[in-house]
Amino acid sequence: MKKLLVLVAAMVLVLGLSACSKVETYKIAMITDSGGIDDESFNQGTWEGIIDFADENDISYKYYKPLEVSDDAYLEAIDLAVEGGAEIIVTPGFLFESSIYAAQDLYPDVYFILIDGTPHDPTWTTWKTADNTMPILFNEHEAGFLAGYAAVYDGYRELGFTGGMAVPAVVKFGVGFIAGVYYAAQELEVEDDIVFNDDTYHYFGDFGPSDNFKNLALSWYAADTEIIFSAAGGAGASVMAAAADSGAMMIGVDIDQYDQSDTVLTSAMKQLGNAVQQGLQAWLDGEFVGGTSVYKGAANDGVALPMETSRFETFTTAQYAAIFLDLADGTVVVPADYDALVLFLNDATLDIPTKDEVEGTTD
Amino acid sequence: MWEKVKNYLVANALNLNIGFFLFLLVFIIPQFFANNDSILLVIRGLIVATGGGYIFYKLLLFRKNNPNFKPSESKLLVDVAGSIIAILTGLLFGLILMLIVNPGQAFGGFFVILQGGFRNIKSFGDMIYFSVPIILTGLSVAFAFRTGLFNIGATGQLTMGAYAAVYIGVKWGVIGEFSPFLHWLVAILGAIVAGALWGAIPGLLKAYRNVNEVVSSIMLNYVAMYLNTMLIVKYIYNRDFARALAPKSTAVTPLMNLHYLLPNSSVSGGIVVAIVVVIILHIILNKTTFGYELKAVGFNRDASKYAGMNSKRNIVYAMVISGAVAGLAGGLMYLVDGKFLQPLNVLIPEGFTGIAISLLGLSSPFGVLLAGLFYGSLKQGGFYLQLYSFTPEIIDIIIAVIIYASALGLFLQKFVIRAMKKREMLIDQKPEEAVEGSDA
Amino acid sequence: MEYIVEMLNITKEFPGIKANDNVTLQLKKGEIHALLGENGAGKSTLMSVLFGLYVPEEGIIKVRGEEVHINNPNDANNYGIGMVHQHFKLVHNFTVVENIVLGFEDTKHGFLQFDDAIKKITDLSEKYKLKVDPNQLISNISVGMQQRVEILKMLYRNADILIFDEPTAVLTPQEIEELMNIMKDLTKEGKSIILITHKLKEIKQVADRCSVLRKGKYIGTVDVKTTSVEKMAEMMVGREVSFVIDKEVAKPKEVVLKVDNISVYNHALKKNSVTDVSFEVKKGEILCIAGIEGNGQTQLIESITGLNPISNGSLTLNGIDISHYSVRQRNNSGVSHIPEDRHRHGLVLDYSLEKNLILQTYFKELFQHKGFLKFDEIRINSDDLIDRFDIRSGKGSTTSARSMSGGNQQKVIVAREINRDTDLLIAVQPTRGLDVGAIEYIHKQLIAQRDAGKAVLLVSLELDEVMNVSDRIIIMYEGENVGEFDPTVVSENELGLYMAGSKRSDQ
Repeated sequence: MKKLLVLVAAMVLVLGLSACSKVETYKIAMITDSGGIDDESFNQGTWEGIIDFADENDISYKYYKPLEVSDDAYLEAIDLAVEGGAEIIVTPGFLFESSIYAAQDLYPDVYFILIDGTPHDPTWTTWKTADNTMPILFNEHEAGFLAGYAAVYDGYRELGFTGGMAVPAVVKFGVGFIAGVYYAAQELEVEDDIVFNDDTYHYFGDFGPSDNFKNLALSWYAADTEIIFSAAGGAGASVMAAAADSGAMMIGVDIDQYDQSDTVLTSAMKQLGNAVQQGLQAWLDGEFVGGTSVYKGAANDGVALPMETSRFETFTTAQYAAIFLDLADGTVVVPADYDALVLFLNDATLDIPTKDEVEGTTD
Repeated sequence: MWEKVKNYLVANALNLNIGFFLFLLVFIIPQFFANNDSILLVIRGLIVATGGGYIFYKLLLFRKNNPNFKPSESKLLVDVAGSIIAILTGLLFGLILMLIVNPGQAFGGFFVILQGGFRNIKSFGDMIYFSVPIILTGLSVAFAFRTGLFNIGATGQLTMGAYAAVYIGVKWGVIGEFSPFLHWLVAILGAIVAGALWGAIPGLLKAYRNVNEVVSSIMLNYVAMYLNTMLIVKYIYNRDFARALAPKSTAVTPLMNLHYLLPNSSVSGGIVVAIVVVIILHIILNKTTFGYELKAVGFNRDASKYAGMNSKRNIVYAMVISGAVAGLAGGLMYLVDGKFLQPLNVLIPEGFTGIAISLLGLSSPFGVLLAGLFYGSLKQGGFYLQLYSFTPEIIDIIIAVIIYASALGLFLQKFVIRAMKKREMLIDQKPEEAVEGSDA
Repeated sequence: MEYIVEMLNITKEFPGIKANDNVTLQLKKGEIHALLGENGAGKSTLMSVLFGLYVPEEGIIKVRGEEVHINNPNDANNYGIGMVHQHFKLVHNFTVVENIVLGFEDTKHGFLQFDDAIKKITDLSEKYKLKVDPNQLISNISVGMQQRVEILKMLYRNADILIFDEPTAVLTPQEIEELMNIMKDLTKEGKSIILITHKLKEIKQVADRCSVLRKGKYIGTVDVKTTSVEKMAEMMVGREVSFVIDKEVAKPKEVVLKVDNISVYNHALKKNSVTDVSFEVKKGEILCIAGIEGNGQTQLIESITGLNPISNGSLTLNGIDISHYSVRQRNNSGVSHIPEDRHRHGLVLDYSLEKNLILQTYFKELFQHKGFLKFDEIRINSDDLIDRFDIRSGKGSTTSARSMSGGNQQKVIVAREINRDTDLLIAVQPTRGLDVGAIEYIHKQLIAQRDAGKAVLLVSLELDEVMNVSDRIIIMYEGENVGEFDPTVVSENELGLYMAGSKRSDQ
């Protein structure tokens, strides 16, 4: 019995002492979304931006993982980040909207960067962006436009689009892609050669890979589709596999996906890293602008095609620079929804995908 | 009749009084002092003191009534000691892993894990919140196990239960306008029925076609997973966010005043439901002819046939109940504000964790309750471990190692018996006054 | 060097029990030394200590005069100690040779060499008259031959101290005779034998000396030739034992069970295991179904109790056709059943004693109310039965059935079945594996039931039991009823011929 007591006492002492060991603090914090930090998507893109910025400026940083996907759990992770000494917290994705809505008032001295979302209360009745919060949104339609434009310039005429689900961001990618394809076709006067309509426009209904998706893509490729733009997260892997089997190409999304498959012609990138770094830089400089949403498009390096890693054959960096400039300076205003798209193309004879298909309202 | 009730009340006066007192302390009194931290603190102290004192009193009473009690001869004590040793083994594994990963912060981090849900009021509430589905899936697996069935399908039953609950929560708002509590109750009942039906399938296959329940229930997990995705998209889909619609606020699990005692945490009345299920299953297993049959079938199917028990019917019933409990877990898991069913083709892991918890809880309802809370505590410990320089992925590994080493460490039991026995032999060699005294 | 093995003052404890308490056993070279004791007396524990399976808390072991420490069976082998277990440890889909050399194989460049082994086995089997066919599969040879394989296994490993654990339990009378001769031959060749048994007849027949254990304690060692069977029985049981069963002449009354042309089909073997069996059991008589194991008795009983369906014929109990009743319905209409395998069918070993005592009655109003068990009544019932049937256990009603001795487990079943007070009591090998005291007790109970006006159907493999207890005998051979006899008239030899299938009376 005595032995046991001594043992317990020793344990308590050791633990007690060690518990006093100093816990490090981290100034820049990120909360991960439902996927892991290496999700080859939002988490990873954001995290890489943070690493680059923090290393360059020698600031401590860390990411925190919530216990589950729920508003409460996200808010608890924010609590933890603040306890861990965070002065600015980056949250990737619209799932954080309600949690940031609560946190911005709870921690008025902490800054928040919310990517791809705008803070609102859980019941969607009150929208509020406090002065310490910077929501960053992307012009996905511009990224999609660049991808479509480049594909047609690179010689592709029969195209397809697959989305994960018809959520607004994905719909915008699609609308922009259609606009880009036909804009380039009009410039090259090859409108009549373009085959891109309802037959090759589809939402998978899921962001995860599946053999069914692969089979669908295979059937398109078999019917002479030359390239598919897949704005479908992980489901893009199914399209890559189908492209590899068919000896065809595809276009990636969100981040540069060139290293995932040789079939990736290019990727319609959101410059997550750039956007995050711009936000962090403003915070570091004491010029953090909160209160309103910031839109990142071509004008502020928020979207891009990764020209260095793209597998273009005829589309040149100069052509890219020219169209990018047109977008950046507003010469070309890319449509963000279907109605604007119709106005933009201004040619009723074109055989473009229908509104129902693009907005995902057919079934 | 009245006489019986009166006798019962008199005979159990102490238990009932303590129970009533605790009920007041936990569910009623705190709401009147919601903003008074010091009084809330006193209330919490009272709860701990009352509960602790009661247990201590019972132990003393037991000692007095059983002076010759030898721990090694009590199966319960040996089993419990085995579980504790197993947990310590798991923790040791965790510590070693932490020392390997980051020796500098290992001890500090380890202390955080030990603290777990007892770090502060908030983490205590969160511990309870996270343990509820685990307790229920643990119960589901344990109950089937007592009947000799290995229900690996808890995940699928949970998924179906979750879908049913959310569907009712989203679509049947009419009930909510009539009575909020009723809406929640109907949603929960829907979850129970859906889980029960899903559990009945492997039960029927096992009973009447002798299909191994492990195989059929594990395959049904996938059916449930895809069915869930399909049904969400078809009926309760929020297209803008690629997830299910939020249940109406009337269907969300009521807080039952627990948030006064455990403010800022995610705690809800789910724990009350879980404890009620623990008690019900305990009574079914240990006090009823039904439980007598179920356990007989589980222990020795041939003997149960010899005794004329209908083992086929029992297998089906056991799987139905097991599925119902797992379905309930799903309902409680998703009838939460700010949490959404997702059409992700991923198996919900709580069902599998339930297997480990059932093992650690020795397949007894109260054991599973404690094991589930232990799991919740570990989860909190792991969450706060992020304050140290451990990446979340490593923490996940550490927590998983602790849980599984704990569950698997049960084989250490025989060493426990040996140690207990040795100690008793030492005691036995002393003059046997106590023994003589008790015989007189 | 007088003793080849000495186990001095051995004490071995298990939780809650001293299995061996200061036990001494001294084995002379070239003798057959019987180790006698009731079930649970500590014989097996003592031998397990010698064989290295348990390490004793106290005491020393000397082999050939030297103190040794035996920590595992390999050590035991090295000291020349070999054991024939009660349940053979043979690989059924291996041949005799493969089983004998298992773990002791000769190899050449990694290939097994059987030629030398076969020669050595043939030599051994000739020398000790242990007839085996080296190339047969174990699954194809008789139980008696399997035992000879086990003996050869020990001899092949050059064991000269041989332990036989209840070797006759599974043998026919002729095989027992043969085994006794083999054992005598072995001692002539200088082997020393420890024979674990509780059968006094066998001890008297072959053993030189006999050590007796009772409840873990050493009672004494006696010279078999000069000690009477009664004296040894008394040492074993601790009181006088009567070997003669007192019973009056049966007075059969009306028919309780009528078995009419029953057949049972075995789907696995695609043949009948019971064919056209008919008989009647009357109130006030004990009908015994005799026969060598595996001649359809088990299937016949299972078809009567409802565990197995009949393919043909009919069963009538007190005039009611029960052919298609469920087990529960049969139980309720008046069938009690002491099953052949008490661990498999008779008991839920993980249940307490009191719960095992309500296995077929828990749903009756006496023990439950609205689905809730009445624990008080259950306790009263079990305390009463424990008292009436003298069931001994560590913790009374709450003792786990698993922790009880075989004899007391059987008493639990007997108590439960008799207490159900049914018209028909079926007892299948009710004394299997039990010691003298328990056997005597169970026989008395069966006769008491008969005298109380019950119909008793007894299945037994032991001729002694068949002759002493029954009022009428039916012999089964290959699933058929080959003859009916009156035990007061027929001789054991005559029965043996019918059991072996060499004679049959056509009805």
